[in-house]
Amino acid sequence: MAESPAFESPVVRSYEFSSGGPLMLTDASPTTKWLVRGEVGGAAAERLDAPFGSSRDAGGGALVLGSRPGEWIVLGPADAVASVVAGLDGLDSSEFLTALDWTHGRALFLVTGTDAPRMLEKVCSLDWSDAMTPDGAVASASVAKVTCDIARHDDDGTPAYMIFCDRSFGQYLFDALIDAGNEFGLSVGPAGP
Amino acid sequence: MTMSRLGAQPTEVIDRTAKLRFRWNGKRFDGFEGDTIASALAAAGEHVFSRSMKYHRPRGILTADYWDPNLLVQVGDDPNVRAGHRLLEAGMDVRPQNVWPSLHRDIKAANGLFGRFLTAGFYYKTFMRPAWLWPTYERVLATFAPGGKIDLDTPHRYHDKRYMHPDVVVAGAGPAGIEAALAAAAAGARVLLVEHEHAVGGHLRYSSSDSARAALAELRAALDASDVEVLTNSTVTGRYEDNWLGIVQRNHPIAVERLIKARAKVLVAAPGLIERPYVFSGNDRPGVITSGAARRLINLWGVKPGERAVVFTANSDGDAAAADLDRVGVEIAAIIDGRDQKRVSSAEGSSRALQAVVAGGNRIEADLLVVAAGWTAPTSLLNMAGDRPVHDPAAARFFPSDPPGNVLATGGLAGDGRIDELRAHGAATGRLAAQRAAAVAHRLQALTARARPVEGNEPAWAPDERTPLGRDPHPELYRSDTHGMVDLSEDVGSKDLVAAAREGYDSVELAKRYTTATMGPSQGKLETVNTVAAIAEARGETIAQVGTTVWRPPYAPLTLGALAGRVFEPVRVSSIHPWHEANGVSTILAGQWIRPDHYGDPAAEVRNVRTNVGLIDVTPLGKLDLRGPDIPKLLNLLYTNKWSKLPVGKVRYGMMCAEDGVVLDDGVTGRLAEDHYLMTTTSSGAGSVWEWVENWLQTERPDWKVHVTPVTTAYVSINVAGPKARELVGRVTEGVDLSPEAFPYMEVRLATVAGVAGCFMWRIGFTGELSFEIHAPSGHGLHVWEALMDAGQDLGVGPFGLEGQRIMRLEKGHFIVGQDTDGLTLGPSTGLGPLIKLDKDDFAGKPELAWAADRSLPMIVAIQTDDPNVVPEEAAQIVRGNTNEILGRITSARMSPTLGRSICLGQVEPELAAGGTKVTVLLASGERISATVMDHHAHFDPAGERLRG
Repeated sequence: MAESPAFESPVVRSYEFSSGGPLMLTDASPTTKWLVRGEVGGAAAERLDAPFGSSRDAGGGALVLGSRPGEWIVLGPADAVASVVAGLDGLDSSEFLTALDWTHGRALFLVTGTDAPRMLEKVCSLDWSDAMTPDGAVASASVAKVTCDIARHDDDGTPAYMIFCDRSFGQYLFDALIDAGNEFGLSVGPAGP
Repeated sequence: MTMSRLGAQPTEVIDRTAKLRFRWNGKRFDGFEGDTIASALAAAGEHVFSRSMKYHRPRGILTADYWDPNLLVQVGDDPNVRAGHRLLEAGMDVRPQNVWPSLHRDIKAANGLFGRFLTAGFYYKTFMRPAWLWPTYERVLATFAPGGKIDLDTPHRYHDKRYMHPDVVVAGAGPAGIEAALAAAAAGARVLLVEHEHAVGGHLRYSSSDSARAALAELRAALDASDVEVLTNSTVTGRYEDNWLGIVQRNHPIAVERLIKARAKVLVAAPGLIERPYVFSGNDRPGVITSGAARRLINLWGVKPGERAVVFTANSDGDAAAADLDRVGVEIAAIIDGRDQKRVSSAEGSSRALQAVVAGGNRIEADLLVVAAGWTAPTSLLNMAGDRPVHDPAAARFFPSDPPGNVLATGGLAGDGRIDELRAHGAATGRLAAQRAAAVAHRLQALTARARPVEGNEPAWAPDERTPLGRDPHPELYRSDTHGMVDLSEDVGSKDLVAAAREGYDSVELAKRYTTATMGPSQGKLETVNTVAAIAEARGETIAQVGTTVWRPPYAPLTLGALAGRVFEPVRVSSIHPWHEANGVSTILAGQWIRPDHYGDPAAEVRNVRTNVGLIDVTPLGKLDLRGPDIPKLLNLLYTNKWSKLPVGKVRYGMMCAEDGVVLDDGVTGRLAEDHYLMTTTSSGAGSVWEWVENWLQTERPDWKVHVTPVTTAYVSINVAGPKARELVGRVTEGVDLSPEAFPYMEVRLATVAGVAGCFMWRIGFTGELSFEIHAPSGHGLHVWEALMDAGQDLGVGPFGLEGQRIMRLEKGHFIVGQDTDGLTLGPSTGLGPLIKLDKDDFAGKPELAWAADRSLPMIVAIQTDDPNVVPEEAAQIVRGNTNEILGRITSARMSPTLGRSICLGQVEPELAAGGTKVTVLLASGERISATVMDHHAHFDPAGERLRG
């Protein structure tokens, strides 16, 4: 039997990679992602501490995104994510709480750069201003006509956005983002979590 | 009218060092960078640019801007280009439109001889009878259709789209608009300033006065130093609910046009005023131009518009035009002052040029008549916001009445004033806009979960304390003592409007549609007020009593390309797609999915599955992860059969019906753990079933503890089918006993496949063969597929696509929801009546299905044609004998490679549903063939021995 194979990204076309640039697009689909559902105002919500629309650094590189009322996406290094999820066990036995590994179901792309908001304005109708979508904001929206979860997680003061979509749309959306970013000098970074 | 290029003008926008060569009407011309097509041609002495729509009268420059109705030309393969606005480019091939054989000798000008018969309603009245001649009429009339030629081979151009959320959008960058933008930005607002023309400044751009030039320089410098985002050559085309604005940007570097959808918190309408033509005999003759046109030609492009001019002026702009003409050496033959009750009666001359002007009974020889008869306030954006502007006869134009608070007007739209007064009003408007935008922003932030938290109460809605602009008196000048053209775009004269009113079309909305006045490319900007005035005159009423038409979007015509924007057509692929592409797949678009249809020979794929083993990528199969203790209750509600006792490790088929008992979807659901199930749906129903389930849970049973997560593409789904499937799967699977005893049909196991843990494997299939359906984590899906392919080479493994699967499922008699059922197919019609458990407490569709249980319904049956070589078309009708009485239809039909004959499924009336019944199938060719209803759905292996093997 073969050993457990490497994760296959939904982005399969070849691109000329760049390690830096004013506006970067990176495929981070292999990143571990879990979907957690609990009760609004329940013990899990209190523990995760990321109300709907916001996010929180949960330590070890894990992020908790409040993606919907009573729903969270936990992402980051596998062990850190596992730690966050494990921390929900036994909080309140009466609370209906579920968690599932969503890593394979969701593509994840990162858009980083000062022009990222202007680029995203070409594919998404959200208001990307600092007031309406500040660092740490989490939203759901149509991006190039694909339903996505979006989180802003700035990189040392530079606007940075995570875009999650159904894996099957991954290649299409990646290409759509490249098209949107061309006028801003978008570079494609090497894939990785 | 002899035009020529002047010496350098202090306000000109042309670069005389940059010569551009282009073609017009087949001849070479030169212009300068900064010229419009029209200004370059005018400077070269051209004075006829087009022929009018109906009478093919020669037409020259009228307004020398975007709205000029006489300057529509063809540029290359681009029709209806506005030569008064489009900047000249080197190499342009510019041609006149809809003329034959030439611009200067147009045969269709003969229409003018019959002008008296071509009045309003001519087409409606004339070509109604005889009705059988209409196709001929239509062909002939089509040759008279105006406009340029469309080349269907023109490659699709890149049109872009962008969203924006500015605090304030200012539509119009004249002095008031610029000041509004600057003031709003200074107050902290994010401001977008949109200017229709190629540069900001409005009327200051073509004013030769020192004060105007100084003001413009000051405003431009302030703009450059501000944070205002400025779009030139762009138009706010529409205002919709909640200040949702459409903006077309025509000069973006990466796209021929960009459509901007902006949600403005406050819209400032500052479009300025549009000069209104005057109606008199010969007012459409080349050589009759507006005062604005004269000033633009002189001051922007250094073009001398004529040699000897008559100036008809009723305002200061007309006076300024006279001064400009005089300054550049145009002889002023006469100034006719409309403020002194003097009028121009007619413009006379040859078909191509003006020769004389008649006014006050005097005939004045001239090659140019400059008209300054008043203004149209382009209130379009206010109309779109619900405002109904009111007419002020003392000022001879419309003014805003009561626009909503998030729409403010300034500049000429709001009133008159000196430059400093207009600027002050603009600045006050900008400040007010910023204050109100702040209140809207506060509210939006407070309502939006992701937004930065706001502190304090929402700012109060700032009251409008602006000092209103004045209204300069202006004589009401709409029509002289003669009749002339009201709508030069549509060739509608004042006589036509009078006639229309006389015929009963005395409502302006009716008259507009009857005569088509205001419906041409100028979109009423030049024509509306004169149209209303003509109707008012015919009715003996005032303009205020007649009212106006309602200006709707777009403010200015825009291309279909701009509306379409960038084309987003999402497509979905499975993780295995690269393998399919590398192995000769022929794909089919199913919904948004690009799916393998076949790999060259579907029949061979079927034979291989029946004899060896095949793999099909069925990833699009809908998959819903269900978790929670109340899942059995949910499944009992959704499906018609029972689910309370499904053991862990078992899979069950279920049929879903809507509340009306109509089949909604079907699929299998497996119990993976005590409170964990995986539901599958049809591929096409994946999204709708998810919504259906969530709808029940969120609105009808919110107390049930079930979490539903769509995981369709979290797993790659591979069906391994064929007699050798077990052997193949066994070669790559760990931890599962695949023997029929240990892993029988309709069960599910958790397995490690090709080293990939966490795969679900079911013993089900759609082909009628021994099948293992493997759901592997998508990030390893391609690996699993390739491992199966590698492992099965000696077994004859091969891929098969949707077509092969369709054939095999038809051989097996499985119906497809949506193909073999329709929007009226009740559950029992599928032949699955035993799965409808009416003794359950409740389930979706139960009342209807209980009603249906006692009735004879159309049934899905298997059908075989008596001639085994004839495959009926899907949807071929089943009829009674030689009549056309429809008794059913063929829903699926294929040639079976396995059976070597045609096989079908169909829906038939209950009287025909019994096995052995002969039916008549009416083919599309009209031929009727005989066919036989089978005893059961399966054409092949009805006992199911192969799939249970």
